[in-house]
Amino acid sequence: MRRSSVVLRSVVILYVGALLALPLGFIFQQAFVKGWSQFWSALRDPAMDQAIWLTAKVVVLAVPLNVLFGVGVSLWIVRHPSKLSRALDVVIDVPLALSPIIVGLMLELAYAQTGWFGSTFAYLGLKIMFTYWAIVLASIFVSLPLVSRQVIPLLRELGEHQEQTAATLGAKPGRIFFTITLRSIAWAAAYGVTLTLARVIGEYGAVLIVSGNIALLTQTLTLNIGANFDSFNSYQGFVGSLLLGLISVLVLGVIGIARHRLERKRYDSFV
Amino acid sequence: MTVSYSGVTKSYRGRLVLDGISDVVNEGDLTALLGPSGSGKSTLLKIIAGLTPLDSGRVSLAGKDVTNEPARNRRIGFCFQDYAPFRHLSLRDNVAYGLKVQHVPRAKRRAQVDELLALVRLEAYADQFPHQLSGGQRQRMALARALAIKPDVLLLDEPFAALDAQVRAELRSWIRSLQKEVGITTILVTHDQAEAMEISDRIVILNEGRIEQAGRPSFVYDHPATDFVASFLGPITTLGGIAYRPHELELVAPDEGVETYEVRDVVRLGFEVRVVLEDADATTWVQLSHDQAKQLNPRAGQRYGVRVRAKVPTVKDAPAADHEGAK
Repeated sequence: MRRSSVVLRSVVILYVGALLALPLGFIFQQAFVKGWSQFWSALRDPAMDQAIWLTAKVVVLAVPLNVLFGVGVSLWIVRHPSKLSRALDVVIDVPLALSPIIVGLMLELAYAQTGWFGSTFAYLGLKIMFTYWAIVLASIFVSLPLVSRQVIPLLRELGEHQEQTAATLGAKPGRIFFTITLRSIAWAAAYGVTLTLARVIGEYGAVLIVSGNIALLTQTLTLNIGANFDSFNSYQGFVGSLLLGLISVLVLGVIGIARHRLERKRYDSFV
Repeated sequence: MTVSYSGVTKSYRGRLVLDGISDVVNEGDLTALLGPSGSGKSTLLKIIAGLTPLDSGRVSLAGKDVTNEPARNRRIGFCFQDYAPFRHLSLRDNVAYGLKVQHVPRAKRRAQVDELLALVRLEAYADQFPHQLSGGQRQRMALARALAIKPDVLLLDEPFAALDAQVRAELRSWIRSLQKEVGITTILVTHDQAEAMEISDRIVILNEGRIEQAGRPSFVYDHPATDFVASFLGPITTLGGIAYRPHELELVAPDEGVETYEVRDVVRLGFEVRVVLEDADATTWVQLSHDQAKQLNPRAGQRYGVRVRAKVPTVKDAPAADHEGAK
């Protein structure tokens, strides 16, 4: 091994170690510092269990909605270009550029009982702000472009020739969509889904504002962890962090597989 | 099946791509749509297939108006320039796609696919995926897939453009014999005049959305209707303001009693030699065979005579009824 290579390796290992591995290891260590039985009872903390359950419920609604929206918008932008769709193509990135705290404030202004949409919903007897629905809204908002940013470039690269060929072979639009279009973008969409999943599970700022952060009611796992640290219950916080970290590792693994498959598909592309 | 279209007009982003063109393609013929890029030939092909809507005009198959029929009802086999293989399907499943759409039972489907793969000589690759095939193999796969639905008409968009020269020549003659074997009316788009001359029964020359001329390849070559056709179909050299095919001018010794010109340059093009001459109004050139060049040994600065063997006859002075070159 050349000397420059050794130096480069050492720098990278130190850098990643100091930023990632050591802090992660610290969380691990802190979560088990009181032994297995304490860890076990901490896992059954009612506020945290409720937070995990709420996070799961948000994921179950927000992720599929985002996939539907992401795939639909991608098809619209690529296949039916118009001034409106081109404008959307730009606007859709806003959630990536905006700080989540601003997203939260925007949603609160719009959906609070006295807000613009909120007053209409209130008239209908529906409460959005500081409920499950507000958390779902915020989660969708912050992860809006994550699916379409994966699907749009692939759709552009694919073109329409496969679909048009299928049409000349007698296939109806629905069949073409399911057997050609969807099959072609499946791995890009899957990659977008895992990114969305990670974002929805990990979102803090926007959810903090719109949920009201009420323990046992509107607290997601990230909010629960934050609340535990704020109230000097840091051991419970570390256990929550460990759980969240494990979920992230799992999601990362899925992302890795999806991206690998996607890149192989891209590599396989021709002409 | 006869394919006819009339008054086909299409604009794209404010540009007129097809300007009210009409033609009839006879049953069993292989017609080449020849033209430079941007002449509208691919757009015309897609309009015939029903893949692109037209602004005005009509398309008929066997005399039946199909202008408003979607592509899936036209029974037209279409092959794109990039072959558009279904990337996620094996070769077998690519070819079987149209049969599945028609709900052909599994056993029958399998037999038909095997037969088609044999026809395009890809039996050994049935379970491979498109990315594992060469360009020429993908091309043949696209053909088999299109033929699977037993189409009445076959449309090929620049079928050889993405292939290297050798595969191209092979596939060209193979497609020609396959077309005659299956006996299917075929329209092929190309920008390569040599390809069109070699493969087709009839050439339709398009330029800026209009048909410049249509007819048998040899007739169109010998009797171009317009300057565009003359220069697009083959090399043109001018002498005294008149256009000639290169073989119609002969370089002779200066003492043979014909007009003489000064040699400007002698260019070796493989077996042939091109002698560029200084003409009064334009630069003229004459093509010589290797042997002729050796015999005359022209050098820059010397003067040589040019004998005209025949003037390029244009359709303008041929009888009007014979524009297509009667068979």
